[in-house]
Amino acid sequence: MAQLAIELRNVSKKRRNKTIGPLNLGLPKGHIIALVGQNGSGKSTLLQMLLQLTHPEEGEILWFDKAHSEGIPIEVRQTMAYVPENSLTEENHWSAEEAAAFRSLWYPQWDQPYFQELMHTFEVPRNIKLGKMSKGERRKFEIAATLAAKPQLLLLDEPSSGLDPFAWKAMIEALRKYMDQHDATILISTHIVDEVRRLADYIVLMHKGQLLGMADKDSLFGAWSEVWVNVADQEELAELATELPGTLNHTMDGKGVASFVTGQFEQIEKRLHHMGVKVVKSRVLELDEILGLWTQGYRPILVDDKKGD
Amino acid sequence: MQIDENSAEPLYHQIETQLRSLIISGVIAEGTLLPSIREFAGDLKCSVITVRRVYQDLENEGLLRTRQGTGTFVSNVGEGARENYKRDAVTKALETAVDVAHSVQCTREELVELFKEIVERKYKGQE
Repeated sequence: MAQLAIELRNVSKKRRNKTIGPLNLGLPKGHIIALVGQNGSGKSTLLQMLLQLTHPEEGEILWFDKAHSEGIPIEVRQTMAYVPENSLTEENHWSAEEAAAFRSLWYPQWDQPYFQELMHTFEVPRNIKLGKMSKGERRKFEIAATLAAKPQLLLLDEPSSGLDPFAWKAMIEALRKYMDQHDATILISTHIVDEVRRLADYIVLMHKGQLLGMADKDSLFGAWSEVWVNVADQEELAELATELPGTLNHTMDGKGVASFVTGQFEQIEKRLHHMGVKVVKSRVLELDEILGLWTQGYRPILVDDKKGD
Repeated sequence: MQIDENSAEPLYHQIETQLRSLIISGVIAEGTLLPSIREFAGDLKCSVITVRRVYQDLENEGLLRTRQGTGTFVSNVGEGARENYKRDAVTKALETAVDVAHSVQCTREELVELFKEIVERKYKGQE
């Protein structure tokens, strides 16, 4: 396993009406990890704990192999950058340039030409106060300022919310290019399937305050298929279902055609062929459907499973 | 490169097979600098883990070489390897065809006759 940028060991945190954790997770350095899960699943709390904006009651967090229970020292903070879910109001009265000048004092690696270049690419308006910007414009400033700090660890809480499709593409490109040139690590929380598709190497799923695990993105795609077969009626379908263990969601889909979902398409296809049942068509499930199955307990092969090999 | 997202064939296998054949057939010339792992992964919408694995496999086969700090290049495949690859690919395809003929009880004579006909038809006009 690669070196870890972040490690969580049995971390738990009580919130008003729920407990988050215990969380166990290792984020491999040099990769983009997508943090996905429904609203209220604990993603933002996890990110805040990684910045010590909030502290866990139990467990331990390691930053680049070190625990910092006395507070993350400045030289480590200077290698971390964060796009929060809601921008800080403290900077509202500043223009982008003024905020950048202030941030550059904190980040010794600050790259002003790069910041200007990103501001230009993202078409962020100049000479207006951050507080007067639209949500999308403010977001674009935040992303530019985060990258210009040249961090080794980027924590992005739904960075693309409010972005138009052009800005979204520019953001994806900028993040990718940054990763190409720096051995950085990105943890990005998102609800956008296409963002995960285009950016992520690993996917971490949270559900109701629990971590369901981390999977290699490419092993998730193609893991589940929906298959349509010729069967006469409901009765015949029920009979077929008992012959095909591990298949789910059997439904009649019009006259003489039924569909079901399987995680072992190749084996099932052979079996159907053997039984003389005709496969009409098949498709692989989309990521959101796969994540849905995962939250229902149909978990994919996880990164931790492979370690035991 | 064509990635079939609806195929049950693992992504890394699809990419590796295609890249290998592009290199061996000479479509990608010796010395060509391949995209960086992150760039290639972005283009194919797959993870860097997959691309790294493909580059590693093909490097082990001697088709690619990585120069520290510069990137991954296509190696010298060699005339012998190219001939072998051509031979293997065609042999494999022909074997499949013969298996099909077998399964529908086609006789040896019928098959040879059919083969000649097809070769005649496909190669006409080209010569």
